[in-house]
Amino acid sequence: MPVLKIYFSRFQKMTGLTRETIVDRLPFLGLDIEGEDADAIRIEYNPNRADFSTDYGIARALLGLVGKELGPPEYHVRKGRFSVRVSSSVAHVRPYISCAAATGLKMEDETIRQLISMQEDLHNGIARRRKKAAIGLHNMDVLKPPLSYECRPATFEFTPLGSDRKMSIRQVLGETETGIAYGHILEKAKGYPILSDSAGTVLSLPPIINGSATKVDTSTKNLLVDVTSTDRRIGDEALAIICAALSDAGATVESVEVEYTGERVVTPDLSPTTMKFDETLAKKMVGLDLDHSEMVACLGRSRLGLDKQGYAIIPRYRVDILHPVDLAEEVAIGYGLDKIQPLYPPSKEPGSLDMTNSGLDRISESVAMAGFTETMNFDLVDATSLYSRFSRSPDLRIEVENPRTIEHSILRDSIVPSLMAALARNVQAAYPQRIYEVGRVFLRDGERIAERPRLAALSAHSGSSYSEAKMYLEALLLTHTGEPPQTRPAEHWAFAEGRTAEVFVRGKSVGYIGEVRPSAVAAFGLDVPVSGFEIDLATLH
Amino acid sequence: MSEQDGPPLHPLERKVLEALKGRDWVDFDSVVRDSGLIPDQVRRAVSWLSSKGLIGVQEKTVRELSLKGEPAELLLMQRIGQAGLPMETVRGSFGSNQEFAAALGNARSAGWIEVSQKDGQPFVAPRDRKTAERYETFVASLRGKAIPEDQIAAEYRDYIERLVSRDMAKVDETRSVSLRITTSGDDAISRAASAGWIERITPEVTAKIRLSGTSPKLRPIDVSAAAPGFYAGRRHPVKEFINEVREVYLSMGFVEIAGDSVQPSFWNFDALFTPQDHPARELQDTFYVKGGRDESIQRTGVVAKVASVHESGGATGSKGWRYSWNVEEARRLVLRTHNTALTIRATQESGDREMRVFSVGRVYRNESLDYKHLAELHQMEGVVIGEGLNLRHLMGVLTRFYAKLGMSGVKLWPSFFPYTEPSMQVMVYYEKVGRWLEMGGSGVFRPEVTEPLGVKKPVIAWGCGLERLLMLRLGVQDIRELYNSNLDWLRRRRDIASTQDIL
Repeated sequence: MPVLKIYFSRFQKMTGLTRETIVDRLPFLGLDIEGEDADAIRIEYNPNRADFSTDYGIARALLGLVGKELGPPEYHVRKGRFSVRVSSSVAHVRPYISCAAATGLKMEDETIRQLISMQEDLHNGIARRRKKAAIGLHNMDVLKPPLSYECRPATFEFTPLGSDRKMSIRQVLGETETGIAYGHILEKAKGYPILSDSAGTVLSLPPIINGSATKVDTSTKNLLVDVTSTDRRIGDEALAIICAALSDAGATVESVEVEYTGERVVTPDLSPTTMKFDETLAKKMVGLDLDHSEMVACLGRSRLGLDKQGYAIIPRYRVDILHPVDLAEEVAIGYGLDKIQPLYPPSKEPGSLDMTNSGLDRISESVAMAGFTETMNFDLVDATSLYSRFSRSPDLRIEVENPRTIEHSILRDSIVPSLMAALARNVQAAYPQRIYEVGRVFLRDGERIAERPRLAALSAHSGSSYSEAKMYLEALLLTHTGEPPQTRPAEHWAFAEGRTAEVFVRGKSVGYIGEVRPSAVAAFGLDVPVSGFEIDLATLH
Repeated sequence: MSEQDGPPLHPLERKVLEALKGRDWVDFDSVVRDSGLIPDQVRRAVSWLSSKGLIGVQEKTVRELSLKGEPAELLLMQRIGQAGLPMETVRGSFGSNQEFAAALGNARSAGWIEVSQKDGQPFVAPRDRKTAERYETFVASLRGKAIPEDQIAAEYRDYIERLVSRDMAKVDETRSVSLRITTSGDDAISRAASAGWIERITPEVTAKIRLSGTSPKLRPIDVSAAAPGFYAGRRHPVKEFINEVREVYLSMGFVEIAGDSVQPSFWNFDALFTPQDHPARELQDTFYVKGGRDESIQRTGVVAKVASVHESGGATGSKGWRYSWNVEEARRLVLRTHNTALTIRATQESGDREMRVFSVGRVYRNESLDYKHLAELHQMEGVVIGEGLNLRHLMGVLTRFYAKLGMSGVKLWPSFFPYTEPSMQVMVYYEKVGRWLEMGGSGVFRPEVTEPLGVKKPVIAWGCGLERLLMLRLGVQDIRELYNSNLDWLRRRRDIASTQDIL
């Protein structure tokens, strides 16, 4: 989850709140405090609240929660002088662009840092790693309107941000850090989208990189914001979130006219949206008998409003509100989750345990009673212990995609290898070692996977033998099936030739028993005989 | 037994004392032979007896010599016989020049031979055969057996040391132990003989008791002596804790459900209103089974309803996520990332009846392992379906659940999950560390989740990791320790039930 750093001195100036109030109340906005030092606090926020990507957005919400500012904040857009002409050539690659201007800014270092961090978080969050939308911030004073958004060939050259020489688009994609990271988004494009002004100054190659000529620094007074997108709604939402923050930072937001072929759009739209507010639903969900005015007050503390027709007024930056239940939650947050009293709903019926789980547990208990120590091993294992050490073909392995470590890359089809690996980690511990696991194995079943509950037990010590393993198995199966099993000579990859048997209960095969192959014992770095069995517990009953 | 009787005698002690009784110093091997015990038993008895002052122990180190190779100079003496031989003939009889040179040099400096010219050739003839023969006899006495150093005549001492340095002979040091009974030892054995203690119950003993009504005494033993090492069979701590959690849920009227680890993405994600491009669904966080698909997921019935909720909100009044839903993505097999994949199916199967279910089981995350992360861990999820359920009930259930697990307070902070609204993070108060701990998520299932499943009643739901609480209970700092099958720990750790008081 994204993390944001907030400086107390700046944040206290913005909110007029004490440090104690800030630290105490932030969690009740859904913000996790990750760390705190003398100057600053690090908070983690859920990316659905994209408006929490700057300290401006958090200040706005906190002022509501503590009751200093209630209801939806209002944002105005002044008519601006910029326009963008959108060529139909971008239609197949990144068809939409939404822009805004922000003038009269006082850029402090921290303001720039907040804006860049917001841009980054929006890219990773609602823009889905720039796939759906990409944001560019530019120094407006170097630009000559109108702007033009169109596709250019791979040989087109400009100076990208962070470089001091001109590069072709092909070079930018192949050589720069962001080109390598995000170039795949443009992979199948016939041309590459370029945003430039009437003098040919390049603002950006979205969604990869900005031009160097429009770089923003502390001397920047007027900003131009562009958001290109494959989904116009996402682009407009990102722009609204940015404009709200810029407005809170003291800028005047100005509109930009976007001319598509056959369509003219003015962006940004900062007018609130509305949604029918279901008062009954809110009451039912929170479990409080709030009257209408209390309900409005709760919404107000969540920076929402309610009009006379019963529609909630939702600031444009609240892109997370999808359904009336979201409004009900805002009532709860506005009321204060810490004030809600728990109420236990008594159970009308008795509970019950899962029969299979309880059955497996009884068997496990029996094995422990026989003197074995229970282990729990991972379902995901590595090829070496599952296959190589038993000289067994890995052809039928079930792999997971993209595992972070090869130690956890294959779903096991047997528990014995896991137990052997456990014995290998315990050569320093006192012998005899008798260990077991009641766990799952995974078997191929066409394109699906069959899961089976199994018991495997191994006994390792200088006197361990087939006959010892059989002694334990007979006792266990007598307990759980009412009769001793039959054993017939068999072959198995884990157990030695001539000392392996298939186990039958009432004529049905349930598993294998034997002495582990000497080559496997040696491969696991063990020096004592190991004997044991693996039984499919689903076939027992 | 009174104090002046002294400590009771172990049967081993008694046998050793009997072997020593009435004799002067007796060597260890004789004691072994005479007592009928094995050396290890005698050693144990000797160590107990000497610490009680019942015997005296004398130790000395004996150096014993034995032959390793054949000294070349003796071979040379044999070969030249009485008459002597030309030097070249002698040289030819040795395997190597080096051996021949050593033989010649040693025999000459010992004065056993002389070298002269005969027919213009060097010729080797014996000079002092007598001495050489005596040495030969001595060396023969060392062949195949060891002789204590102090039994070697002074004449041969230098020679044998040279043999040792030439690696022709070796010295073995052995410790020899002699024992002698002390006066207190004599007393102890006579007392033991008169005490009439029995060692153990046998059919003869019980028969005698029944017949005569006597009550024989068992020989007193050293009750503080070490017993042989043994470890009882044990359950795994995670299983013990899972059972405790199951009992807590059971006591609150919950029905347990279980299910497969491998799930179609549909039940792990789509049914829970998690959009198909949500970061949690990406490969770097979630394990997908390579080449695995569940073809039974078809865009009909519940699946179709879920799809249209994603795309446009369906019949729920929601805006939906507004994208084009893909059935292939929902068919991909995933290792469940939470047990809500199971409780959501139970929710569907409830047919909108009131119900409370839970599931404790393994979940999977594509994580690198470190002291606080595992790729496989356990979660305990629960849901309650009931008319009129609200946030206060959710808090009520959670408060009771954690109280039964020994936690003294619960509070909720706002949070976000795609499938609940409101969504809340659960904080519980842990008295021992005096702070609030993050325990997991909770909330009310969104209409986008329940409506396609045909459930109209509110559903409250929560989930929380199991390992973190267990680590606090067991005092484990590194989560990997729970699953590395360290036998020393698994055999010696405290039972979970005995750690309730820790919280």
